[in-house]
Amino acid sequence: MRLINEARTRLALMARSWGQNLLRTHLARQVAWLMAVAAGWEALARASVYPPILFPRLSDVLATLVTEMRTGEILARTGWSLGTICTGVALAVAISIAAAGIALGIRPLRPLVDALLNVLHPLPGIAVLPIFLLWFGTGAPAVLAVVVFSCIWPMVQNLLAGLEAVPRTQIEVGRNLGLRRARLILFVLIPASLPYALAGLRLAWARGWQTAVAGEMVFGAGGGDGGLGWFIYKRRFFLEIPAVFAGMLMIIIIGILVEHVVFGTLERLTVRRWGMSRAE
Amino acid sequence: MRLIGIEATSPGGDGQWWARKRLFAEAAVIALALAVLIAPTSALLSTRVSAARQPLEKIRIAQQFGLVYAPLSIARELEIFEKHGLQVEWRQLGSGAAINEALIAGQVDVGFMGIPPFLIGWDKGVPWKVAVGFGEVPIMLITYRKDIKSLTDFTSKDRIALPSPGSVQHLLLGMAARRELGNAKALDSLLVAMAHPDGMAALLARRGITAHFTTPPYAFELLSQPGFHAVLTDRQAFGGRFSFNVGVVTKQFHDSRPQAYRQFVAALTEAMNWLETHKKEAAPLLAPEFNLSVEKTYAYLTWPGVHYTVEVRGLMKFARFMYENGFIRNMPASLDDLVWENARALVPPGEE
Repeated sequence: MRLINEARTRLALMARSWGQNLLRTHLARQVAWLMAVAAGWEALARASVYPPILFPRLSDVLATLVTEMRTGEILARTGWSLGTICTGVALAVAISIAAAGIALGIRPLRPLVDALLNVLHPLPGIAVLPIFLLWFGTGAPAVLAVVVFSCIWPMVQNLLAGLEAVPRTQIEVGRNLGLRRARLILFVLIPASLPYALAGLRLAWARGWQTAVAGEMVFGAGGGDGGLGWFIYKRRFFLEIPAVFAGMLMIIIIGILVEHVVFGTLERLTVRRWGMSRAE
Repeated sequence: MRLIGIEATSPGGDGQWWARKRLFAEAAVIALALAVLIAPTSALLSTRVSAARQPLEKIRIAQQFGLVYAPLSIARELEIFEKHGLQVEWRQLGSGAAINEALIAGQVDVGFMGIPPFLIGWDKGVPWKVAVGFGEVPIMLITYRKDIKSLTDFTSKDRIALPSPGSVQHLLLGMAARRELGNAKALDSLLVAMAHPDGMAALLARRGITAHFTTPPYAFELLSQPGFHAVLTDRQAFGGRFSFNVGVVTKQFHDSRPQAYRQFVAALTEAMNWLETHKKEAAPLLAPEFNLSVEKTYAYLTWPGVHYTVEVRGLMKFARFMYENGFIRNMPASLDDLVWENARALVPPGEE
């Protein structure tokens, strides 16, 4: 009885604090701020102190986004960008796993992987684009190559860090349970290093996305096979500034979706379920 | 609403007061942020007001490099703008789009651009018109591929490099595609946007792009290579002469500073005419800036199809094509929609 009463009061307290805090949660505050900025944008545009053609109203931008979605162009471009980035990230993951395996499996090669990592990690993908354009030709292949390039290094770094951070005791316990090479890797090393791997994947995705859009904008890929970067680039030359902003909004929307839905789900299904991450 | 109910029945009075105070604090921070956003506006306004008259009229001109811009270099060398009572502030800008944006934002008074980008701006309601023509140069679509003799020979695997979407080159390609392939946008899926030097390098390396739609001196360099040939020329595409660039002046400058406007037109006309009639004398003045030998500079200045003239050609013809093929949404009623009053006389009869 006492227990039930206690539970009831606690529940009531929780409900009340939930109610009071709804407007004060971090997310709600972020949304409130965004609304304030949006309102400021709209007001500033309506005051038309800046030339409207360079500083369009937010409402025009949203209307353009809807129209572009209806005609399908922006969706086709988004699909193309996502295709490039997913292919690039997948290739980068495969290469990174191989590289991490080599670095840890073949001792003499470890300094080679570390050296490559130290030398090439600081190089932004976009900076190697001119060379890749000469090697792979203009357009899709070069953009894909820079995406792979910019994704590999954060992945490798995180994989190595993760695998090295696995506590000795966990490995020893695995050994004592009779796990040998393949099963030890599969059941101990990989799950134990997964938070690092996920962090690496997150970084890789972010860098890949930035690089793909930037690459298409600097060297404008091609009308038939261009992603969101090419969309923005093209619209700028036709002075369709609301469409330029719409392209940027699309990038933001995809970014938020991937961050919260894709990576959020991945984490919930793995590291958080296994109690390895306290992140809320 | 439910939240307020819970708040009201809760006994914690102090907490409520504190919460309200914090709410005020947050509102204040947001207001401050908005103020920071808006502050640059007033700064912009005050600089506009303070642009007062001075003995030597100040004018801000956007420029790029290249043979097309030779008249501006000549005017600088011979101090022609100063002679006409103008003090020029040169603004070096990287691309056509940057020049358009600088004009729209009121950061420059005069910019030079191709007719299509000018019309795109006009279509979007940018308050600007053409003050002068700014020369004619040959433009050619060049390839190294022997099997490509006309636009019908391009396949979906080929790539055509040109400076940007909506450029003169893009529209010329559209005109030819309309005639030869039946659709102005038939080749749009092959486009690659590249600055002239990058496009030339890629074509010379024979990597990635099949053809490059470019202007002198890049076109001349490419054609001097064995096996390179022109698939399409501007004359074939357009069916006549047209101004490669036009000098565009904003309404703001034209209306508020008529004196400076007249001085600018007179000075540029003088520089242009001097260059057209003194190419021999001009070559050594221009050679260092273009990093070319005097002989080569002279050869480029006198190339067939290069005309340094302030005459304005092809405005309405471009407008009609762009309107009929969906590049712009409005059709100018007459030339007067597109040119300032002095430029009406610069349009030769039959070449609107």
